Amino acid sequence: MAGGPGLSTATPVRRILALGGHEFSSRPADRAVCELLLRLAAERGGERPRICILPTASGDTSEQIASFYAAFGERSCEPSDVALFRLGRRPVALRDHLLDQDLIYVGGGSMVNLLAVWEAHDIASILSLAWRQGIVLAGQSAGAMCWFEAGITKSSGKPLAAPGLGLLHGSLCVHYNDEPERRAAYLDAVGEGMAGGYGLDDYAGLLWEGDGSPAALTARRGARAYRVDSREGAVAESPLPTRFLPAPAPAALREDIAEFRRIKTMRKRAGWLT
Amino acid sequence: METATRQIVAFGGGGFSMESGNPLLDDYVLGLTGAERPRVCFLPSASGDADHYIVRFYRAFSTHRCEPTHISLFRREQGPSDVRRHLLSQDLIYVGGGSVVSLLGVWRAHGIDSILCEAWESGVILCGLSAGSLCWFAEAVSGFHGEPKRVRGLGLLPFSNCVHYERGSGRGEAYHRFLREGMRSGYAAEDGAAFHFRGEELRRVVSSRPQARGYRLDVAGSRVVEMRIATTYLGDREAEPEAPLPEALSAAPAP
Repeated sequence: MAGGPGLSTATPVRRILALGGHEFSSRPADRAVCELLLRLAAERGGERPRICILPTASGDTSEQIASFYAAFGERSCEPSDVALFRLGRRPVALRDHLLDQDLIYVGGGSMVNLLAVWEAHDIASILSLAWRQGIVLAGQSAGAMCWFEAGITKSSGKPLAAPGLGLLHGSLCVHYNDEPERRAAYLDAVGEGMAGGYGLDDYAGLLWEGDGSPAALTARRGARAYRVDSREGAVAESPLPTRFLPAPAPAALREDIAEFRRIKTMRKRAGWLT
Repeated sequence: METATRQIVAFGGGGFSMESGNPLLDDYVLGLTGAERPRVCFLPSASGDADHYIVRFYRAFSTHRCEPTHISLFRREQGPSDVRRHLLSQDLIYVGGGSVVSLLGVWRAHGIDSILCEAWESGVILCGLSAGSLCWFAEAVSGFHGEPKRVRGLGLLPFSNCVHYERGSGRGEAYHRFLREGMRSGYAAEDGAAFHFRGEELRRVVSSRPQARGYRLDVAGSRVVEMRIATTYLGDREAEPEAPLPEALSAAPAP
């Protein structure tokens, strides 16, 4: 771990990965997202990076926590969770634990509740410090919008604008083409003066590494990222060029099975099998 | 103008959440409504709206004896769209246990704090256990996580409150220290004991366990004075429907 980029004396690179929507399933697109999270964590933490989920926006549901461990439990990393609603049964030294991570992942759910509970527990200042120290901040849906000045949330039923932590300038709308009513509410809000920003489909993401523009990524063909701005009274939506993240082989695949598949593929290519 | 009776029943710990098979406290709050099929709304916010907790509520408050509903602030798209109207139309609002700090944060974000105040003023009975007790008071001792902490509640009741006040729990010691450091006077309840307030006045202490007690704590100079309050065990068949409290205990402590 020593000598990792985050621990050098130079100012650490601030990194945030905002994802429009994904799950921790074994489907290829979800595996591609997990692989990216692992890679970002490993760039800071080395071979066994520490990755912590904050499932606050869901109310700390056991489903969200379990799916996170199912995705990362067998991988080369040290996964953990901080469940603010469950601290009574599982006390954690919040500040020390969070600042000890290489990547902090924030799950989806209610953006309004997420920020309210964070404020009540004084988490925002810890996350802001973590970011400045080079700990990667990542998340999907509410867990992606929370880093911006504003997002479009369905926390109160209908999609409405809500403020975020403001580590990143502008606004974000997730599930962009997957939930047309959310996109419509976003375009209206930007038209009415909300700071412009980005629209992210499910399986599209934006990665900030240091200052400057983010890199747009997708883990599913057809998923897009948009820049959304208000220009002379009209709202302009322009798709961003994206880099495709290929899915890795399933993690649980045993070496002998993988070998067998490789041979089978080679034979197929050579025309030995039809 | 008609003035409604404002009522709060604050359980130290008990009811369906903690006393499976002992419905005495839950029966007591249902009985207070005077309604044949009281409308009861459960607020599980302090647990993060845990599914298993909501299921247990519906099991305990079955449709045979009441009209149960719940509001999940983590899944607003599923519940009643007009939360205020729904809460104001209840006979009883029942607040579950969990993290009082998270509870108050989420309530504020959704404007539930002012709706509950309005509901109380209009005669809806408010009750709850643990975090669902602490929230009604001006100040509270939260022992949910780590060292016990001082927390500001909604302040409908201008006292302090401590729950799970069992001997050797560590909360008692912290509560006494906070009182010496300037926390306002208040009430502590052991598991199974509940304070029934009318307005800001303590009317009686009831319990679901024969030994459970409630306490009144005052500060005199640098000393904390703790008084055990006579408690009515609800399982006792001879329990008087409403045993009045001595004057000294029902009066509000000096601010």
